[in-house]
Amino acid sequence: MTTATMTEGGTAAGGRPGMPEREVVVGVREPAATAAFCLILTAPGCGPLPGWSPGAHIDVLLPGGLVRQYSLCGDPADRASWRICVQREPDSRGGSAWLAEQARPGTVLRVRGPRNNFALVPAPRYRFLAGGIGITPLLPMIAEVSAAGRPWRLLYGGRTRASMAFTGELSGYGGAVTLAPQSEAGLLDLDSYLAAPQAGEAVYCCGPEPLIEAAEQRCASWPAGSLHVERFAADPREAASRDGDLAFEVTCSRSGLTLTVPPGRSILAAMREAGLDVDFSCTEGICGTCETAVLGGVPDHRDSLLTAQEREAGDTMMICVSRCRAGPLVLDL
Amino acid sequence: MSFVLNGWYQAAWSDEVGRALLQRWICGQPVCLYRTRDGAPVALADRCPHRKYPLSLGRLDGDIIECNYHGYRIDAAGSCVGVAEQSEQPRAAVHRYPLVERDSVLWLWPGDPAQADPDLIPDLRWISDPDWTHVRGLVPLGARQELLVENLLDLSHETFLHPTTIGNAAVAGTPIEVSGEGTTVRFSRRMLGITPPPFYVKSMGLTAPADRWQDGEFYAPGVFLLHIRLAPAGTQEPEGYHMEVFHGMTPATQSECHDFWALGRDYLTGDAGLSRFQQEQQLAVMAEDVAALEVQEAMYATGGATMPESSIKGDVAALRSRRVMRRMLAAEQSAS
Repeated sequence: MTTATMTEGGTAAGGRPGMPEREVVVGVREPAATAAFCLILTAPGCGPLPGWSPGAHIDVLLPGGLVRQYSLCGDPADRASWRICVQREPDSRGGSAWLAEQARPGTVLRVRGPRNNFALVPAPRYRFLAGGIGITPLLPMIAEVSAAGRPWRLLYGGRTRASMAFTGELSGYGGAVTLAPQSEAGLLDLDSYLAAPQAGEAVYCCGPEPLIEAAEQRCASWPAGSLHVERFAADPREAASRDGDLAFEVTCSRSGLTLTVPPGRSILAAMREAGLDVDFSCTEGICGTCETAVLGGVPDHRDSLLTAQEREAGDTMMICVSRCRAGPLVLDL
Repeated sequence: MSFVLNGWYQAAWSDEVGRALLQRWICGQPVCLYRTRDGAPVALADRCPHRKYPLSLGRLDGDIIECNYHGYRIDAAGSCVGVAEQSEQPRAAVHRYPLVERDSVLWLWPGDPAQADPDLIPDLRWISDPDWTHVRGLVPLGARQELLVENLLDLSHETFLHPTTIGNAAVAGTPIEVSGEGTTVRFSRRMLGITPPPFYVKSMGLTAPADRWQDGEFYAPGVFLLHIRLAPAGTQEPEGYHMEVFHGMTPATQSECHDFWALGRDYLTGDAGLSRFQQEQQLAVMAEDVAALEVQEAMYATGGATMPESSIKGDVAALRSRRVMRRMLAAEQSAS
């Protein structure tokens, strides 16, 4: 299972303070549900906004140092605007309340990102599970998967039908979507929805914590890595580390050594502990001293130095911060 | 140290080169620059094929350089066409460099002429644009070109080196976004709702709060462009004051380079007093950079070659430029 965590009040898992900020302007504000509204955001001067892929979110920087994450739920092909959906939480510690009161057409917001910790992996089929506002990162995933002709299903729960956003848009997908508001259908029947995994099927789940925990329990017997979740965590301190990090193996092709790199430890640290003498300096993925050629596997780049093309090429990585997206990882050491 | 040779470097401003022979060292090579009678610029290797005496110390006879040591005569193609006072016609020649004149810049290609592609010359049309005005010059720098490149790719130094002109806390306090592929490195800094530094207050009459944008581009091996926008906080394009900065960063030797510079603006273009002010300020700023870079060069040259350097996020654009240059150099060296 891979997990991404977003948080109220802190930085998203993988988001870093000091990431570049930009201004966006609210173009449109429209109701999405009884207690939710959408904001369409554009770049000042109507320039293009950065590209993003389904699952991505932006940090919205609010007065008083508050930071709130919102999934981008529009069309990635639309480079002129972003859409986010804000749920007005009755016990909000300020974020959604501020936006509810202040965000109007013309309002300028400062944002960071987009970042994507909840990326759509290639799979032959998909099962989507949404609770409440958790539908937002899944909407563009569904659009992409549907356009690609992959079989998929969505089970979408909420308090009442009227409280659930995007039901109109989703009705266009016909029978693949099951709306199950609690007021009509009771609690979601996850036992049946998450039974019978099919080969290679990917499950994407987003919503309140109890839903995610329930999904994790039901998917415990699925093949490892099938379930992908994004949490809206209550405690900002939880998100300081990358909850989604898994242990992985790395093989040093020249020395023949294979090491296990646990979560919270870098490849560099693991190698030094194993007695390997490796060059390094900043340990933050900036300086490039620890750059190492990749002979096998797909790195998970977390440095600042490589260009997008270099990352995609995947034949080099900074071992002080970067990890493994697909193993086995083999390095030229 | 070697130089990346396959690239366009600024050899001169157009108005530096005329009927007087001018020597300029570029990437460790002496170059003789002049114009033929019809105004075409020429760049020849500045060593007579006879006994290496600088052709630039010779005399221009029509379009032929006559060497002042033994009278070898070299035409604008670099071919020896005779020896003065003698009937001999030695078969000899000097290298003629690809040279392109565009937007008041003379661009020279020190490397393989077959690779000299004029489409790689960066766009400096604002230098020729009648709706813009600019000031420009050449500052000699006693430091290796790499230090100048990195100075310009990390403008957080403005906060510390240029506090009376173009720098204040906002620059170092605002992170950059870095991008670019291949032989280009870009950075972007958006300072929003800040107090503009003195240079911009006086240049534009702008007061706080203002937005100040810096969009920098490094085109390896020798060009830096900075697109500047200042505007009252929160205003949108195309409003605002726009300035363009260009640096032609041309290595002379391992420890010296030519810092060609131009500063353009699209507002108050007829104001000669403002141009004079901007010229003075720019020279004052560059003097601060020269002082710092020449000291830094001495510190690099005198040791610490194997000392690892501490780096922070603000260094990423400069660090990427090092990778780009290293890759270009390695490609040239493996090809030769």
